[in-house]
Amino acid sequence: MQCVTRAGCTLRGFGTALAFAVCVLGGTARGADAVVDVWAAASLREPVSQLARRFEAQAQGRKINLVFGASNALARQIQSGAPADVFLSADDVSVDRLQAAGFVRPETRRVFASNRLVIVAARELTVPLAGPSDLLRPEVKRIALAAPEVPLGRYAREWLAARGLAEAVKARTVVLGDAVATLASVDSGNAEAGIVYLTDARTAKSARIAFSVPAAEQPYIVYVGAVMQGGDQPDLADEFLRLLVSQDGWAVLRAAGFLPPPPTIAPSPDAP
Amino acid sequence: MSGGELIAMTTLTLRVGVVAIAFAFWPALGLGFWLARREFRGKALVEAVIALPMLLPPVAVGLGLLLLFGRRGPIFPLLHALGVDLPFTWWAAALAAALVGFPFLVRSCEQAFADVEPRFEQLARSLGYTRAATFWRVTLPLARRGVLYGTVLAFTRGLGEFGATAVVAGIQPGRTETLALGIWSRIELGDDSGALALCAASFALALAATTLAEGWLRRAPRAEVKARS
Repeated sequence: MQCVTRAGCTLRGFGTALAFAVCVLGGTARGADAVVDVWAAASLREPVSQLARRFEAQAQGRKINLVFGASNALARQIQSGAPADVFLSADDVSVDRLQAAGFVRPETRRVFASNRLVIVAARELTVPLAGPSDLLRPEVKRIALAAPEVPLGRYAREWLAARGLAEAVKARTVVLGDAVATLASVDSGNAEAGIVYLTDARTAKSARIAFSVPAAEQPYIVYVGAVMQGGDQPDLADEFLRLLVSQDGWAVLRAAGFLPPPPTIAPSPDAP
Repeated sequence: MSGGELIAMTTLTLRVGVVAIAFAFWPALGLGFWLARREFRGKALVEAVIALPMLLPPVAVGLGLLLLFGRRGPIFPLLHALGVDLPFTWWAAALAAALVGFPFLVRSCEQAFADVEPRFEQLARSLGYTRAATFWRVTLPLARRGVLYGTVLAFTRGLGEFGATAVVAGIQPGRTETLALGIWSRIELGDDSGALALCAASFALALAATTLAEGWLRRAPRAEVKARS
């Protein structure tokens, strides 16, 4: 059809160009790399990123795609069809739920680390926090906790409840989406105090560790990894998980401050 | 944050936005024209349904998409048979962006077509233009300002889409993490400078889109005069 006006012609050309854009931009340039999608608890960001780089360097043509977030949220997304090959959770509950729904290859499931809860204080907080009751001081206006569904949030609330502080701190609680965000809110001074993992607290720029939850009061914290059912790269996924639970993997985790898996769980055969 | 990451995220955002508009454009244009020219019972209801993605919280739109397109949704098996697993891919992000931008585009098109004087169309018909020719040569050129405005609005709305995208595509760096999602994850990490860099990239994209559209609108009338002479 002939164009009478340039404007009409251009507008049509514009529309046609948009239609073509689907074809051009739609065809994603897939590299030849074998990609393993590793979905991991936010608190594992540093060691798992490091191990992923090491894994990629071990052989040509393999790539790890990392997604970090709250374990419960990641598990829910995997259940909704997210393409995870390996899931590394900061609790066993999230893995149990996935396993019950048939998403986990049970024989690959491993408990590979533990962690501790510490109380961090913002730089701006002038009064010292020496123990649990100091969380109730008037200067501590906001206490950062991860959401109750998030593993860290559940652990922190378990401890607060055991100390009888759950109700008392409720009014000053600010709720964050995952472990890293919880630390970030204290590190930026937007909350005066927070309950976080020791491993995250060590990465703080300005916040400091006020005190640790005593060993006897520590909740049962376990990191659980498993290969997911039906991934594109089952062998590579398995290999990555094995690297994580190997001696090399443990060295990286230990350097980041993680603890060995709790003794009530038998260590995996590959673990040191 | 590395420059490579910034470029990759900007490219992904642009790709999501362009594909979203490419999908939304023709249906919205047709729907806008139809709504502008027809009066019927229940039109208000149709308009309300079209406006829903704009009126609902984006997270609710995301939930709706996940229920429809997700692993247990009714549309999943259809697409799966075609070899497409939509949820948690960048296609899902494009779908979310298209859906939230769609009402803006339909509204603008409808308004633009409604503003076209029907006498011009009647005149064109009386001079022997077919219906299609009238639309392409008379109606659409006269409505171009509104159509283009709506396109830019829907495009930029799609670029900034957060809520629905996070639900249906997830925040997967390098795969579905658009600028808007990247800003959020950097805030969560406490990386304010990284978040600001991504804000600047978003701003640049939006500015480029509006400047391009403005430039084209300004150039268009002159071209028309030239064509007539």
